[in-house]
Amino acid sequence: MKQLLSLTTLLLLSAFNAAAQDVYSCRNATFRFFSSAPMEDIEATTKQGVSAINVKTKTVYFKVPINTFQFRKKLMQEHFNENYLESEKYPFAEFKGKVLDEVDLTKDGSYPVTVEGALNIHGVTKNYREKGTLTVKGGKINASAKFNVRVADHNIKIPTLVIKNIAEVVEVTVNADYQPVK
Amino acid sequence: MKLMLQIRILTALLLIAPAAMAQDDLGAIFGKDSVRRDPVIATFKSTRIINAQSNETLARGDLDFRVAHRFGDIGGANGGASTFFGIDNSTDIRIAFEYGITNRLTAGVSRAKGSGAFSQLYEVLGKFKLLQQTMDNRVPLAVTLFGNAVVTSMKSNTDKEAVNYFDKFSSRMTYTAQAVIARKFGDRFSLALLPSYVHRNKVGYMDMNDMFALGVGGRLRFSKRVALVVDYFVPFRDEASKDYYKTQGIEFFNPLGVGVEIETGGHVFHLNFTNSTATLENQFIPETTTSWLQGQFRWGFNISRRFSLGR
Repeated sequence: MKQLLSLTTLLLLSAFNAAAQDVYSCRNATFRFFSSAPMEDIEATTKQGVSAINVKTKTVYFKVPINTFQFRKKLMQEHFNENYLESEKYPFAEFKGKVLDEVDLTKDGSYPVTVEGALNIHGVTKNYREKGTLTVKGGKINASAKFNVRVADHNIKIPTLVIKNIAEVVEVTVNADYQPVK
Repeated sequence: MKLMLQIRILTALLLIAPAAMAQDDLGAIFGKDSVRRDPVIATFKSTRIINAQSNETLARGDLDFRVAHRFGDIGGANGGASTFFGIDNSTDIRIAFEYGITNRLTAGVSRAKGSGAFSQLYEVLGKFKLLQQTMDNRVPLAVTLFGNAVVTSMKSNTDKEAVNYFDKFSSRMTYTAQAVIARKFGDRFSLALLPSYVHRNKVGYMDMNDMFALGVGGRLRFSKRVALVVDYFVPFRDEASKDYYKTQGIEFFNPLGVGVEIETGGHVFHLNFTNSTATLENQFIPETTTSWLQGQFRWGFNISRRFSLGR
């Protein structure tokens, strides 16, 4: 019985272990968004996103705490959190997706890829298929992508009063440097 | 029998393990949502509720230009149609510049017309955010300290018995010290308690140089941009003083403000009704002698316009 137990434990551990070696993670992913409207440009950045990528299964994951986005105008930041993204209710934006291309991410190189998956912002999930670049070099991976998010798609309402200040489509830029998960 | 069961469980476990990995929940490696110690934001929309201070201070580099206006009595002896329900008169007008030195420290200057015996007032104020409420409730309350000093620039009365006879400069000074203890209950409702202390260097006979008061203020959000705001102060004036002034035909009332707050981007606009004629703590706490029940309340508005100066 004892032997059986330890054998099982060993098997279980090795199963997890093998998977872990395929996983790369990043705890300081950069997210920037930019909105250009007639009245003013709005820009915010956070470096507190997290991300992971599995080079075997080619799955990718991103998560950003909404209230870490830094704006130049703090009042804007307050409005962003309180009125638009409602970050107390919906504290995170999350993306779960998969790299569609046939690429070997265990080999060095720069790979333009297409990623498809579900992006949840403001409690509303929508499917996206966007282009990005994965760069593998010396056991490290960098991911970068730029794509557009239509605020109305995520039920973010802009009152007509400030429609000239906020664009309906926001450009999002992502950059993450991954290290293997040990 | 027992062994069989154990084997079965182990087999099941073995089957589940790869299955779990195959699902590949990458989010799991970051653990559960970390405990959120973030400060609660926007307990109040503005640095003032109506008459009362809120716990909010300005962000670093933000300049707040504020105008507060109080009209005359809507009803009562001085109101009604003859004064267009008080619109013809103004009891107090305050124009202020307040600036966020840091995210926690605000300093400001203002000029108020003043109401009562002292007018033509200049105010310097400081506000410091001592504690911020956190989302995880580790800090359940926000505490902000407020203080101001007010000087009147009016001409001294020639009658030496008058309150506004100033034999020396310090007679012109009044001060307020206040703590704003606030909490945001969920998305829509915020409450503040304001233990306050007002010191006036020069007061009339049987009036009090030092007065304590307790204020309470609240905000209830109707929508993202519109809220109901209320504040109320109970000044602790002693009975002897009240009784004396009653014999002089003066009765003191607790200042109550009720208003609607509308936010439009960089502006916060208040439309309110108060029985207090003054806008500064130094006056509306100890010197409110007008009553809601006698129609002696007035229209008022507070306008706040914020500019981001710092980077």
